[in-house]
Amino acid sequence: MSSALAVRIAAEHAAASASLPAQVVSTERRRDAIETLVSEGLPSSRDENWKYANLRPLEKVRFVALAGGTQGGNAALTSADLPAPIGGYARYTFVDGVFAAALSAPLAKAGITVTSLRTLPDPLHFAPSTSKDSRFALLNDAFATDSASIRVSTGTDWSMGPAGGPTCIELVFVATVEAQAGSSYPRVEVQVEQFARLGLIERHVSLGTGANFVNASVQVDIARDATVNHYRVQESGAKATWLDTLSAVLAQGATYKLHAVNAGGLSSRSTINVLLAGQHASASISVASLGDRQQTQDVFVRVEHSAPHARSEQTFRGISAGRARVAFNGMVVVREGAHGTDSQQSLRGLLAGPEAEIDVRPQLQIDTDDVRCAHGATAGKLDDDMLFYLLSRGIDPETAQRLLKWAFLEDVVARIEVPELRRQIERSLAGQMHEADALKELL
Amino acid sequence: MLEIENLHVSVDGKSILNGLNLQVNKGEVHAIMGPNGSGKSTLAYALAGRPGYEIKGGKVTFEGRDLLALAPEERAHEGMFLGFQYPVEIPGVNNVYLLKAAINAARKHHGLPEVDAFEFLTLVRDKMKMMHMDESFLSRGVNEGFSGGEKKRNEILQMLMLEPRLAILDETDSGLDIDALKVVSNGVNTLRSPERSIVLVTHYQRLLDYIVPDFVHVLVRGRIARSGDKTLALELERRGYDWIIEEAA
Repeated sequence: MSSALAVRIAAEHAAASASLPAQVVSTERRRDAIETLVSEGLPSSRDENWKYANLRPLEKVRFVALAGGTQGGNAALTSADLPAPIGGYARYTFVDGVFAAALSAPLAKAGITVTSLRTLPDPLHFAPSTSKDSRFALLNDAFATDSASIRVSTGTDWSMGPAGGPTCIELVFVATVEAQAGSSYPRVEVQVEQFARLGLIERHVSLGTGANFVNASVQVDIARDATVNHYRVQESGAKATWLDTLSAVLAQGATYKLHAVNAGGLSSRSTINVLLAGQHASASISVASLGDRQQTQDVFVRVEHSAPHARSEQTFRGISAGRARVAFNGMVVVREGAHGTDSQQSLRGLLAGPEAEIDVRPQLQIDTDDVRCAHGATAGKLDDDMLFYLLSRGIDPETAQRLLKWAFLEDVVARIEVPELRRQIERSLAGQMHEADALKELL
Repeated sequence: MLEIENLHVSVDGKSILNGLNLQVNKGEVHAIMGPNGSGKSTLAYALAGRPGYEIKGGKVTFEGRDLLALAPEERAHEGMFLGFQYPVEIPGVNNVYLLKAAINAARKHHGLPEVDAFEFLTLVRDKMKMMHMDESFLSRGVNEGFSGGEKKRNEILQMLMLEPRLAILDETDSGLDIDALKVVSNGVNTLRSPERSIVLVTHYQRLLDYIVPDFVHVLVRGRIARSGDKTLALELERRGYDWIIEEAA
């Protein structure tokens, strides 16, 4: 990106810095972030790992959050504007990046604390990211107005809640403002201590159809033998630009299961970094992306094995229709000494229109012997054999194609272990595919 | 029921069927045998309308209609069923959904209302019992992770549910052990009636011990080289195909 953009960002930041809450991100850290952005610039389509992303909308963004991120959010917003709640999950809603207590139903469970960092002087602090692909996390550092800070203490388990009460957490981020008026910076910091287990849903939605600019930063730290099941759903408005940087670090024996569904936004880019830092850690990353019209759905995943005997799995299913571009760039890095690594990738893209684009790219960088890395990547049209099989049973061609497209995504969606959430996502995806009626029996 | 006259079919520019003639009347069971590459599966696929099976000449009439003018799904609506040699796995589309959608597609075509959900399930359960299939198969993806024998049983289950007027079963016996062969044959036999016809494509005489055909035809180089009754299959079992190939040359 042109440095002119970074200079403008720095100027906007300087003008707003006095009003940015230091409890969320310290003034020094914000300044450091801006300095790095000015010296390195923002990612651009000339960067190898960013060539599929659509970053043009950045030119028109006002980077400061609305009114410098003062408490409040959109007063007109009610719980009816939000997705239906999920049983067993306590909801925390953030409007334009700021916690909205009125739209939240906090968790009453020993061992888990969820706090809005604006209200607590004792924040959890993750180190800023140094990866070049995480520069949008620095932009979040610079402008963040609030943060959901989740701490799960040693041994706390999702199955040990008060009778009938929720034991898991749902974060809902709602964007309401136009990008020309201000930006939204969802921010999540999760620390899960030894032997603890956390179920987390993270949703991103828009109110209305404004051209929001959302730039999320999520950091997840999973201690020894702890487990996190993390569901992410991006259903931003049709004109929104949604950027996201997620970093997860796994200690010995830790398990991280990430399920991400990208369906909304005009221009969406998710950057996911997972570090398997401890032996026998295990990460499974499943991503479903659906692009139509002029949408860009770009996902970049980098999984790094730095300890022996860890396993990782990446599964991607993407459908591109209309004039959309759907991309998945899945990188696996196996460091020296990470022997016994077991890494698998199954990446599949489906072209559902003559003007659509699919880019599926597996990358392996292996610096040690004794590893098992299996990867498969395909991009193509619907399978002719499957199609003929359905036709031969009397299914008409249009329905057969719908069914197969649906089945293709279901491969990933069916892995979502929260039935209510899965049904919501299925309905939403069917709606996106304009096929809710045709598929109603499957929903 | 089915009349095939002088049918020529090419696949990838290669001529496979070279003037095949066959007449199947209501209530009859015909077995099509023949050496590898003689065109048995091509005949099955061409009748079902698989893309890539190019009709170069000839005529096929099904119940008085020009079969070759119909799209594959229309052939199914008219009562034709193809049992696949290699049933396709379709993860994400479940079996019960496909069964119901297939039945409703045909009903819609004939101006009938959708099948009642309760009656449908009762019927499926009955037929599954007959096919020795566990009910858990219903909620699984179509043929997903099924063994070879399970896939073949699933084909017959679909056939029993759809009650076709003409069933073309392409090597339904391949990959079956003797117990599964009995189950599958039993399923096929329950469908035999004076109103229905069955064409069995098979390599081996063994299947015909269980589903006894009215006629046996031997396909050589894309034409029927010899026809007879069930004793022809026994003769083939004893003597092999060479003598027919020589005769046809």
